[in-house]
Amino acid sequence: MKGKYYIQASAAISPQESFSGPFIPQLPVLADKNLLRIQEPDYSGFIPPNSLRRMSRVLKMGLVAALQCLRNGGVNMPGAIITGTGKGSLQDTERFLKNITEYAETALNPTPFIQSTYNSVNGLIALQQKYMQYNNTFVHRGFSFEHALLDSMMQLNEGNTDVVLVGAFEEISDEHFYIKGRIGYWKEALTQPAELLTSNTPGTIAGEGSAFFLLGNQPGNDPQACIEGMKMLYKPTEEKLHAALETFLSQHNLQPSDIDLLITGQNGDTNHDHYYHNLVVQYFPATNSLPFKTLCGEYDTAAAFALWIATRVIKEQGLKKVLIYNHFYGDQHTFLLLSK
Amino acid sequence: MAERVFITGVGIISAIGNNVQENLHHLREQKSGLGYTRHIDTIHKDVLPVGEVRADTPTLAAMAGVQDTPGYTRTTLLGLVAIQEALQSAGIKDARELPTAFINASTVGGMCDTEKVYFDILDPNKEGDFLKYIDTLDCADCTQRIADAVGIDEYVTTISTACSSSANALMYGARLIQQGLVQRAICGGTEALTRFTMNGFNSLKNIDKQFCRPFDQQRNGLNLGEGAAYLVLESESLVKERKAQVLAELSGWNNTNEAFHPTAPSPEGDGAYEAMKNALKMSGRSTADVQYVNVHGTATLNNDISEGIALERLFGTQVPKFSSTKAFTGHTLAAAGAIEAIFGVLAIREALIFPNLHFSQKMEELNITPETQLLENYPVNNVISNSFGFGGNNASLVISKYEG
Repeated sequence: MKGKYYIQASAAISPQESFSGPFIPQLPVLADKNLLRIQEPDYSGFIPPNSLRRMSRVLKMGLVAALQCLRNGGVNMPGAIITGTGKGSLQDTERFLKNITEYAETALNPTPFIQSTYNSVNGLIALQQKYMQYNNTFVHRGFSFEHALLDSMMQLNEGNTDVVLVGAFEEISDEHFYIKGRIGYWKEALTQPAELLTSNTPGTIAGEGSAFFLLGNQPGNDPQACIEGMKMLYKPTEEKLHAALETFLSQHNLQPSDIDLLITGQNGDTNHDHYYHNLVVQYFPATNSLPFKTLCGEYDTAAAFALWIATRVIKEQGLKKVLIYNHFYGDQHTFLLLSK
Repeated sequence: MAERVFITGVGIISAIGNNVQENLHHLREQKSGLGYTRHIDTIHKDVLPVGEVRADTPTLAAMAGVQDTPGYTRTTLLGLVAIQEALQSAGIKDARELPTAFINASTVGGMCDTEKVYFDILDPNKEGDFLKYIDTLDCADCTQRIADAVGIDEYVTTISTACSSSANALMYGARLIQQGLVQRAICGGTEALTRFTMNGFNSLKNIDKQFCRPFDQQRNGLNLGEGAAYLVLESESLVKERKAQVLAELSGWNNTNEAFHPTAPSPEGDGAYEAMKNALKMSGRSTADVQYVNVHGTATLNNDISEGIALERLFGTQVPKFSSTKAFTGHTLAAAGAIEAIFGVLAIREALIFPNLHFSQKMEELNITPETQLLENYPVNNVISNSFGFGGNNASLVISKYEG
């Protein structure tokens, strides 16, 4: 997809101090697990206390990032609400599974079942804003947020609306962390984010977060950045990946050297980091690069946090062209091109 | 001018048959697929009726042509059976021949198999074959296994908007075609019955202990079902180029949100009304052009009032023939939109209207009643197919006869 899609506002809840104030990247220090949790903002200014009590973590972080994004953009009614989440509400899914066993399928509380539905955050945003138009949720690992973005771009192309609220949310639970650990998703030894990229071991560290954007066909009052194009590749060979990058850049009349900053999803996993390494060696040997997963950990929709970082560096440092290259465990690869 | 989008292939597996022909046969025979589960270990197994696919999972694997099935969940296998039929029906020998999108839908992914082994997975002292199911819980797992099996690698993604999921998958695929990103998209959904969903809906007190009675005054909830269905969508230019047989046109669609309650529609059916109205407008058809509405018709107290009022608001006193086919298949959640879209295609192709089974008494809130007879030789040019879900997600599709 190619075009001009303006990011008019954004908001992010992440393991960083991203929700308020200027963004100063900090390498977190882990105590006992290879897992980065979000810094929870004060949700009380967004959600009434009795609703708040019933909501699980991912619902809170998803809804509040969305509401803050709308506030930042001064928009009440976006023309569409589109989200991505790889795992939805893990906490509610786990709770309902346990309740089924614990209470032997009788007298179950339906709340965790309702909230475990992948589109429940979307429904809540619409409900909160009394918004009745287009609403969609993508649930496909490292393509969840990416397809939410593509859908948003198509909505703008179709002329259905001038501005779309698009975002992603993901939580990590202790249980899910353990489960994925059994099949090698995480590093075995405690590995600090500062050592992640030089650890030379398989697996990575888990993360979570939520980020939302107002994407419009006009720059808006306080323009953040502009998405110029995106290319997704499913299980490509390295040859196909490299060919796709060359085509993608040439479609935008760019050389690799025109890229001011390369934001990569490099996560220190020796099983899959070669994609990043080989691409950098071949195309971007001298380009500044920022591996963002030392700041947020690995999760299905981490690319949404990368996009949030990109909007910050473009706005604060005046960079002209930023390329994000991320993949999720070698299966879903995405190039996202941004400009000032 | 955006390209027109045609349906060139269909494939289904449901409680009333393992392929399109068997489904059509049972619709014509007016034979419901509702019964009791043979495959799920639940205290509800003799109490809550379901629309279950008769084949057990190893039989499904054989039907799907999968030899060794490590990590192939029932969800994946249902999907594989249906997509293979859809490809064959479209005359596609190898999906790799063209960049193709696969837009799948599911509400609980591989929960059907992971729920059986979940507590073993959590037990550090247990090792075994169940570890193959560790990564199958999410919705992407079934999508990717199906995509890999049939060789699709262009756009591969999954949508989950509860019970409107596969209707949204069809819209998204159609839009990818209209925007010129692909010429062909295979769209639909797959859903296996699970203890998780049975207990979920039961805890909401909206499962009927009798066979569900859509649009009936005595209705008392839904029956869950399982199944999978895919439609092959192609651009008009591709259809012409390869002289493909066109089954019908996907001429209109719309997605709205109810913004009323997490699990209930507004009493006036605002979302349903807007979705149908806008989909019809997009199709360029008027209300008078619609011969049949395949309603969402879950037989829950709320849905049928809300959807019925929306029909009366849109069509006034001229509400076309309508019926819910959920009394045949059960409510197949994410697969429902695609299964019912195919029923819409069949209504057009076979010139018939399917009866709404188990109806006896008009709802007091409505002036209209569903069609209870099988109508043969009933010309159908335009069908509206409705799918509404939790989170206020509403989706309506307009399926039209191919006029060349």
